[in-house]
Amino acid sequence: MSCAGAPPDRRQRIEQKAAQKVAAESEQLLAALRQREDCRPEFEAFLRCLSTTSAASAADAARRSGRPLLKLLCVQAPLELIHAAGFHPFRVFSGSLAASALAAGNLPALTCPLLRAVLGELRLNAAPAAGWVLPATCDWVTRFPEMLRLCEVDDSSAIWWLELPRLKNRADGRERWLTEIWRLKEFLERLAGRGIGRNALLDSIAAYARAAAARQKLRQARIEGRLAPLWFMLVMSAFFLDEVSAWTASVERLLAVLTPQRTQARENGSGRVFLAGSPIVFPNFKLPLLLEEAGLSVVADDLCSSERIFPGTTVVEDESLFGLVSALAGSYHQGCLCPVFADNERRVNNIFNQRDEAGFQGVVFNVLKGCHPYDLESYSLEAPLKAQGLKFIRLETDYTQEDRQNLLTRLEAYRGIR
Amino acid sequence: MKLQIGIDLGSTAIKTVIARDGEILWRGRTNTAPGQEAHATRLIESGLGELRLTADAVGGVAVTGYGKKLFAGARVRVDEISANAAGLFRLSGGAARTIVNIGGQDLKALRLDENGRVTDFRMNDKCAAGTGRFFELAARLLDIPLDQFAAVSRQARLELELNSTCVVFAESEMVSLLARGTPREEILKALHRSVARRAAGLLGRDVSGPVWLDGGPARNAGLVEALEDELMTEIKVLEEPQHTVAYGALLALQAAGDG
Repeated sequence: MSCAGAPPDRRQRIEQKAAQKVAAESEQLLAALRQREDCRPEFEAFLRCLSTTSAASAADAARRSGRPLLKLLCVQAPLELIHAAGFHPFRVFSGSLAASALAAGNLPALTCPLLRAVLGELRLNAAPAAGWVLPATCDWVTRFPEMLRLCEVDDSSAIWWLELPRLKNRADGRERWLTEIWRLKEFLERLAGRGIGRNALLDSIAAYARAAAARQKLRQARIEGRLAPLWFMLVMSAFFLDEVSAWTASVERLLAVLTPQRTQARENGSGRVFLAGSPIVFPNFKLPLLLEEAGLSVVADDLCSSERIFPGTTVVEDESLFGLVSALAGSYHQGCLCPVFADNERRVNNIFNQRDEAGFQGVVFNVLKGCHPYDLESYSLEAPLKAQGLKFIRLETDYTQEDRQNLLTRLEAYRGIR
Repeated sequence: MKLQIGIDLGSTAIKTVIARDGEILWRGRTNTAPGQEAHATRLIESGLGELRLTADAVGGVAVTGYGKKLFAGARVRVDEISANAAGLFRLSGGAARTIVNIGGQDLKALRLDENGRVTDFRMNDKCAAGTGRFFELAARLLDIPLDQFAAVSRQARLELELNSTCVVFAESEMVSLLARGTPREEILKALHRSVARRAAGLLGRDVSGPVWLDGGPARNAGLVEALEDELMTEIKVLEEPQHTVAYGALLALQAAGDG
């Protein structure tokens, strides 16, 4: 489907077709979600945010927040700092198969499907933004600017790299990261044409802390069966599409109506699972839907597209500007479970820690084809998890639908394993 | 005692088993085609007819396989991995601990505990390499009926390597070998080894005790020998290896108290 180098009229026709398909993917999923018995009016705020392509959603997010966008990939750039500079942090994500197909011809066959979809969507419509902040995480992300060029994306936004120390537990790594965050602050100030003051930063930290508290209640609702896992994922998917306070308010309204009547029996242990691995991005909800169909309930996850879409509350002990920036740097580096880190024992410990709280008996590990860090991690985690009595299944897939039946068969059998 | 019926609505064939109290009275198969429910129903009617019984004698129907949701009259639906394990475990007299199943479009390796429960399994992804489809393609290309695969491959004098189990690439490779005048029996033997390697890869190397092979391709003795050579362990095959999954589904009726 590549149209790089194609005559302008052909390129335009292909892109128009792709745009229609991208929109259709979202519309189909949203229509299916709206028809579910457990759909509530309170979900509409989130469904509306997701009602357009990701590129158009970006423009909507800018309008809703009343702030210029600052585009992000990955989860390590402190959102509070960006927010305090007057920007709306917008994570560019896409789960669109059509968008992925649009960019496929310009990239190696085993390129991360998520980034391929992002590039396809940006090709269709690179929403205006003040800039990009790119933490240098996996190999694919570090080649992102090159991929933008290869895919002929018309995006001239300034790119600011955050060099991410891969060793979290070493003091020099932490110091380097702190320096990176100070440099990011300077970049944001230059971009905004104004300084980031202590009070503005405190306000932003408080706004994201309220969002984190709301997310914690949502997590609890999911654990208790008051909120279906699919809806949890949908609500989290809408996080970057609205102003943080507006998203938090929508979550609070939802929480107010989540009654215990929908409780799934806690003792249904074999069906309760932890979902780990590569991000699952709207509208590619293939795996969450199949999990549901197989009778499995995701009661906790560590996906950077879901529960981990933003870090927890940043604990501030020193309210000076230095203290605030240091706290943010620590929170976004030390607390990050991304598999690009060399010392990442927290990842497996996080699963064990959540086991008692969420009461799951197994782990479903999602590997997006081409997502090498998670692929490797799936092999590393299997033995320690099984040794602790957790059943484990690794599912490697992409954005296509053709392996649905194969995945379902495996998930159904996995459910039966005691 | 009422009859129990197990149906395996697979990607290439519909297999049915009729039993009473777990004892198999009749087995049947037909090719998968549009209208799977109607085909399965006709298969059941044919079985009941041969047994001189009517639908009133049926206590329940259990369905498994890719098409399990397409059969409205099912009392129990069970995934094919669990059905495979249950069926083969029972039919092996409780001996099976390791199973390789080769279906029309998938390849599975299962490990069971002493009670026949699945403790672990592996399954190919969406690639059809090493599955029944692969053999169908070879039968067409080499113009050798599937039931003669073993006899023909035993005539091979040289040991060739078929580099790909990918259906698409293997097709080109086989065409190329034929064009070079390579004897068909040598291509066939190489194909058996290639599939055996893939199955062994799925199973892992820590295999102890015999491996039970089932699914339609298990009737191919050439493949059985190749797998035996690859795993260096005994490969056991039941008399009707393509019906174990349907039989396992039927056992789920008993477990559900319907049999």
